[in-house]
Amino acid sequence: MDISEDINARQVTPNEEIEPFLELTPELAQKRRSQTRIIFDRFVRNKAAIVGAIGLIFLFTMCFLGPTLTGHNDPNQQNVSSVSATLASASWQHPFGTDNVGRDVLARVMAGGQVSLLVGLTSMLMAIILGVGIGAFAGYYGGIIDNVLMRFTDIILSVPIYLLLFVLSASFTDGTPKSIIILIAVFGWTYAARLVRSEFLTLKEREFVLAARTIGVKNFRMMFRHILPNALGPIIVNATLLVSNNIILESVLSYFGFGIKPPDSSWGNLVYDGQGLFDVDPKLVFIPGLMIFFTVLCLNLVGDGLRDALDPYMTER
Amino acid sequence: MGRYIIRRFLQAIPLLLLISIAMFLLLHALPGGPEAVLFNPHLSAAGRAALRARFGLDDSVPIQYIKWLGRSLTGDFGFSFATNEPVMTVIGRRFPATLELFSVALVVALVLAIVIGVVSALRQSSATDYVLMTLSYFGISMPIFLFGLFAQDIFGVQLHWLPVSGTQTLGYQLAPIDAFVDHLEHLIMPMSVLAISYIAGWSRYMRSSMIEVVHQDYMRTARAKGVSSTSLIFRHALRNAVIPLITVVAIDFGAVAGGAAITEGVFAWPGMGSLFIDELTRRDYPVLLGMLIISAVFVIFFNLLADILYAVMDPRIRYS
Repeated sequence: MDISEDINARQVTPNEEIEPFLELTPELAQKRRSQTRIIFDRFVRNKAAIVGAIGLIFLFTMCFLGPTLTGHNDPNQQNVSSVSATLASASWQHPFGTDNVGRDVLARVMAGGQVSLLVGLTSMLMAIILGVGIGAFAGYYGGIIDNVLMRFTDIILSVPIYLLLFVLSASFTDGTPKSIIILIAVFGWTYAARLVRSEFLTLKEREFVLAARTIGVKNFRMMFRHILPNALGPIIVNATLLVSNNIILESVLSYFGFGIKPPDSSWGNLVYDGQGLFDVDPKLVFIPGLMIFFTVLCLNLVGDGLRDALDPYMTER
Repeated sequence: MGRYIIRRFLQAIPLLLLISIAMFLLLHALPGGPEAVLFNPHLSAAGRAALRARFGLDDSVPIQYIKWLGRSLTGDFGFSFATNEPVMTVIGRRFPATLELFSVALVVALVLAIVIGVVSALRQSSATDYVLMTLSYFGISMPIFLFGLFAQDIFGVQLHWLPVSGTQTLGYQLAPIDAFVDHLEHLIMPMSVLAISYIAGWSRYMRSSMIEVVHQDYMRTARAKGVSSTSLIFRHALRNAVIPLITVVAIDFGAVAGGAAITEGVFAWPGMGSLFIDELTRRDYPVLLGMLIISAVFVIFFNLLADILYAVMDPRIRYS
C-alpha cells in the first residue's frame, strides 16, 4: 500500500484529528531560474553596482549618441572670431565652455570619450583573449609549457609597467588609437593569464574532466568547451576591472604626451592640452579628468558587484 | 629557514638572467637598432667605427649579449646622450630624491592604512566604516595625476598654503632650519598624493584581513580567557592580520626605481621618475635602458624580500 492510499484512507475517516497535508502549492514553489538569471538577480540587489551600471550606460550614451543628439558634434571647429568666444565659461550653447581656440569643450569631451572608452574596451578584449589562451595552455598542460609561460609572465611583471609603456610608446607608437590599443593589450594580459592558469589547475582535477576524457574528448576541445566555461566567473570580473585599468593607463600615457596624439583626442589628451592653461581655466583640465574618474569609478563598482554576484560562497541575502 | 632563503634566492637568478636577455633584445628591437641606442647622434664617422669595434657590434648576437651582460654587471650602462656622463652617475644623482619621497610616502601610507583598516574592521557596517571605505574606493578610482593636479590647484593656486613644485624655493639662501622647513613644505604635497594612492588600496586589504582574523576561533578563546580589548586587538589580531599587508607593502616598495614617475612628473620632483620622462623626450636610450634594468632588479629583489619576510612572520610558510 503506497502513501497516497494511506492518506486517502485517513481523509475519509470523519472524526479523527488529522495533520494538514502540506502541499507544494503554486505560491510556494520557487521559480526555476537559470544560472545567468540567478547571477543577474544577485547583481541587481547590490545598489552600488546598479549605480555603477546606470553610470556606465549614461556615459556610453553620452559619448556615442551625444554628438548626434545634442548637436555638439564637431570637436575641431575652431571659433577665434572674438575674444569672448575663446575660453568662454558655461552657457546654454556651450555647456562646458570653450577652450583657447574656441572649440566647444563638451564636443571635445564626447569625442575624447569615444576614443578613451573604445581604447579601454578593445585593449581589454585583446588582453583577455591573450591571457585566457596563455593561462589555459599553461594550466592545462602543466610541466614545461607551464614553466616557460609563467617565466615569460614574470619577466613582464618585473619591470614597472609605466616605465615600460613609456619607452615603448615613445619608440613604437604613432599616436593613433590602434597602436595604443595593441601596446596596452600586449602588456595587460598577465593578471588574466595567472588567474586562468590557477583556475585550470584546480578544475583539471575534477571528475567531469575525467569523464569527458573517457568518452574521448580531445585536448583543445576539453580546454575551451569543457573547462573554460566553469572558469568564466573570475575572468569576467577581471575583464571589467581591466577596462578601468586600461583607461587609466591610456590617460596617463596621453597626459605625458606619449599616448594618443592630436588630431585624435582622448580624455588624457584633453588633460594634457588643458594643462598649459591650468592657471587661466582649470576646468579644461578637470572636466576630462573627472570623466576619467567617473568612468573608472562606475567600472570598479560594476566589477565588484559582479564579483559578489558570481561568488558561489556568498549566502543569499 | 636558511634553506628557504637560499631556495628563493636561487629561483630569482634565472629570472634576472631572463630579464637581462629581454632587455638586450629590446635594445636591438628599438627603431634604429643598437646604433641609435648606444651611439650618440652627434658622433663622427670615425667615432662610430671606433664605437662599433668597442661595443662589438660586428660580432654575432650571443657574443654581443655576453659582452653587454659583463658591462651591465659592472655598472657600465654607457654614457648619456644628453650630458655624456656615465649613466650610473646620472641616475645616482637623482636617486636620493626619489628614495626620500617614496620612503616617507610609504611609511605614512602604511601607518594610516593600518589605522583605517583596523578601525573599519572593528566597526564593520557602521557609518564610519561606510565613509572610510567609500573614500578609499574613490581613492582607487582616481588617477594619480588628476589627484595631484587637484591638490596643486586647491592647496597651491587657490589657498597658497603650499608650493606646487620642486624641492626648494629658488633664489633664496635660507638658514639651515628655514631651508629644512622649506624643503618639508615642498615635500608634503607630492608625498601626500603618493601616500593617498597607496592608502586607498592597502586600507581595504587591511580591513578584509582584519575581519578574517577577528572571526577566527582563537580570538574567541582569548576573549573567553579574559584578555582585555586593547591587548586582544594589538597583540592577537593585529599581529596576524598585518602579515599579508606587509608583504604587499614590500612588493609595492619594489617599484621605488621609477614607480613614482607620475607624481614626480606632476610636481616636478627631481627624482628618477621625472628623469625617466625627461630623458624619454630626448630619446636618451642608454639612461632609459639602464633605468629599466635597475628598476627590474629592484622589483625582483623586493619580491624576494617580501617572500622572506612572509616566511619570517608566518611560520606555516616555512614548513610547507
